[in-house]
Amino acid sequence: MGGISAHDLRMEFDGFAAVADVGFEVATGEFITLLGPSGCGKTTLLRMISGFLAPTAGTIHLAGEDVTRTPPEKRDTALCFQSYALFPHLTVRENLEFGLRQKRVPPADRETRLEAVVGALDLSPHLAKLPNQLSGGQQQRVALGRALVMRPSVILFDEPLSNLDARLRDQVRIEIRRIQRDFGLTAIYVTHDQAEALAMSDRVFVMKGGRIEQSDTPERLYGRPRTSFVADFIGNANVLEAEVRTVDGNGLVQLDTALGPLLAASTIPPQGSRIRVCWRPEDADLAATGPNLLSGRVTHRAFQGHFTDLHLETGATGCRIQTKQPGIQEGDTITFSLKPEQIVLLEAVA
Amino acid sequence: MMSAQRFNRILLVLLLSLTAIWLIVPFTMAVMWSLVDPSEPWTADRLVPPVISLHRWRDMWENSSLKTALVNSYLLAPSAALAALTLSMPTAFALGRIRFPGREAAKILALLPLIVPPFVTSIFFTSLLYQIGLHHWRFGAILFAHAIVFMPYSIRILTVSFEQVRADHVDAARDLGASTWARWKVAYLPALKPGIFASLLIVFIQSIEEFAIAFVVGSPDFTTIPTLLYGTLGQDFVRPNAAVLSLILVVPNVLLMLILERLLKSANPALNSGKG
Amino acid sequence: MTLRKWLFVLALLTPGLGLIVAFIGVAVYIAIAQSFGLYNLSGESGFSLEFWVKMLDRKVFSRAIAYSVYIGVLSAFLSVLFAYPLAIWLRKPFPGSLTIGAMLKAPLLVHGLVAAFLFINVIAYHGVLNQLMQGLGIWDGPKRLQNDRNAIGVIVLQTWKNMPFALLLLTGAVQAISDDVLHAARDLGAGGFDRFRKVIAPLTVSAMQAALIIIFIGALADFSFQVIAGPTNRQSLAQLMVFYKSGGRWNDAAVVGVTLMGIAILGSVLLAALPRMTLRGRVA
Repeated sequence: MGGISAHDLRMEFDGFAAVADVGFEVATGEFITLLGPSGCGKTTLLRMISGFLAPTAGTIHLAGEDVTRTPPEKRDTALCFQSYALFPHLTVRENLEFGLRQKRVPPADRETRLEAVVGALDLSPHLAKLPNQLSGGQQQRVALGRALVMRPSVILFDEPLSNLDARLRDQVRIEIRRIQRDFGLTAIYVTHDQAEALAMSDRVFVMKGGRIEQSDTPERLYGRPRTSFVADFIGNANVLEAEVRTVDGNGLVQLDTALGPLLAASTIPPQGSRIRVCWRPEDADLAATGPNLLSGRVTHRAFQGHFTDLHLETGATGCRIQTKQPGIQEGDTITFSLKPEQIVLLEAVA
Repeated sequence: MMSAQRFNRILLVLLLSLTAIWLIVPFTMAVMWSLVDPSEPWTADRLVPPVISLHRWRDMWENSSLKTALVNSYLLAPSAALAALTLSMPTAFALGRIRFPGREAAKILALLPLIVPPFVTSIFFTSLLYQIGLHHWRFGAILFAHAIVFMPYSIRILTVSFEQVRADHVDAARDLGASTWARWKVAYLPALKPGIFASLLIVFIQSIEEFAIAFVVGSPDFTTIPTLLYGTLGQDFVRPNAAVLSLILVVPNVLLMLILERLLKSANPALNSGKG
Repeated sequence: MTLRKWLFVLALLTPGLGLIVAFIGVAVYIAIAQSFGLYNLSGESGFSLEFWVKMLDRKVFSRAIAYSVYIGVLSAFLSVLFAYPLAIWLRKPFPGSLTIGAMLKAPLLVHGLVAAFLFINVIAYHGVLNQLMQGLGIWDGPKRLQNDRNAIGVIVLQTWKNMPFALLLLTGAVQAISDDVLHAARDLGAGGFDRFRKVIAPLTVSAMQAALIIIFIGALADFSFQVIAGPTNRQSLAQLMVFYKSGGRWNDAAVVGVTLMGIAILGSVLLAALPRMTLRGRVA
């Protein structure tokens, strides 16, 4: 078992940097998600960790050992593929045993390891079947089992749930997390689904343009995004530009925005005199009165079940809020407030 | 990554030069041999022939059965291609568009001529011709044999083409009140066209090249280009003459194959767009 | 299926498939019948084992069998052996891979007889190969390479002509294997050779069998390469058959022809079974 540390990793394809100077540390047993839109470099990064791509520059250590130039077949990592990549000519048992035989694990040991994984994933009725006789979810479990049975120091997932339907996805998601915890594995999980990332991870690395934009716990990522990209990519956010008026010693910041003057409470100082700020739609409080009192006319209303989505026209701009309060109709003018700590300061405007 | 690229490049250069030698050297030799003037022989101590002329080409043209062989081959091949196409159409339609028990077995059975060695086919086909007294009309006999022996190709290609005709196109044509013929023209023909061309070309090339049947059924007095070349390579081997014949036999092939390649490539996007 | 529909299907199949079955069937039937003295063109017809018995005694017959099998098996294996690494190499396109592919497949366009001529031209007593070897000082004088005793010339020609065909079949099969499956094997610790043995070979076994069988049958029944470039003291089965036929000995030709077909079928079955058996032992 062991963690991962990467330093100044860089991957160029024909002069284009798919991953640019990325560095991070992952502790043993941690579950990390690489999250970002397509083309952000998350899969490239995963391929470098698994060994299928040799970085243009930088180093990777697995469990303290430099593996930067180690080919994948010699690396103590196991990859779960988006396409499952099961060997179509081998039975489920042979698929599961493939890596163990390759590693020349003694038969008795092999059997114990196999049984543990088969039990955990409920695969025993399918051992003699060929992959094409299994459903998508079952194939996914075999792929997972094939990686788990290796007891790798790091297990890697390349969007493993994207081919499953929504209900199954929830179920397998829970299963993956449970097994990762039970086996004490270090995991790197690639996805473009922010809900998946928030639900599963100890930490999420949000990637953009080949760089890690922010790495944090899901809670902090959601509550304290550092850039408008992160704020926008994770959940819904109202992002707007703001002029910094005053900053006092307690971290209270006076802002001028298109919505009007706002008061923000921040633990970090603003990044410039003209910055972006954001707040979450569900933070709008229709009952309270406070420093940030805003009002607007409802232009669009969408009932979502456990809340209602409202699009408002406020002054020269618009915003979006979510409320549990029923009875608001399109055309109504409503007033709401935001707590100063719910207004998050983001990057400076270039 | 980098090392794999370099490895590929080295392999590429190595293989390209090897293949170049493999192809260019023999063909250059053939071209040079075909240009040797009979006035002075090309001896081993010279790199190029001492006297170069087109004499051999002229000589072969005027004084051998080359002209007859060319006429025979180039009459035979298109006829065989057309015959094979016509004969295989109904079978391909049945295999491609009608579900019936034993269809898979029928598809395999259609490959039979490819499995039986051609000399066995040709010798006992000749035997059959003698029995029914058809052995005097050599052209017809060879044409018949070629059409049948190469039919597996046309059946295979056309079956795939028929399978790719979209049922909704046929139904749409029907729905719009098209007659049987109009339905064919609108729904089937566009999808079949590449297959028809491919089948014609392949059978044509196969027939031009075919040796066993032409040799066994046609000998001694019916010559095609392959049998003529075989004769030139065998009993009366005159190297420059053989060189001339070899070149005559190979050039049309290359041209036809280039056309075929283009055709198969253009067939794909057509099918893709057809799928919508 | 109604009777009407059956009749319709049969009517459709008659000009194509029907003709093939009738024609090839009759040729095979005549061969078998004549090998047992039936269906004679001239003289009496009557069932007899005499032609088989006499033929089995002839040394030239058993030598022809051994020789043809030797050519067939070796050509098939060599073609596949050369085609496999090339197919794997050309699996993913890279700059120049199309050109390479086209050049490797060029022999498909060159008629066998032309290939034979080009080949003997190169290896002739005064040909470029001899001159090159002398020029390099490797050989003292020109060597006689044509019609060599071990039929290396025929094998070279067969491989040259058939390797592209094997390549064509194998490239398609190898390209059908997804990158992820190969990556998965690699990720699970399989090196280059293991990936071939445990993943590529089993997944391309049908293409390999098809290539082996078709090349085997073609090379087994070879006539023209043998006559032009083969050893002069050996005869291939096809050559022997043509020899008997041109002497009017139809029954003897039939015996050789039936033998040829028998070996083709038997060999195909064995070649089809062989890769599966060798692979099964390793897969399980």
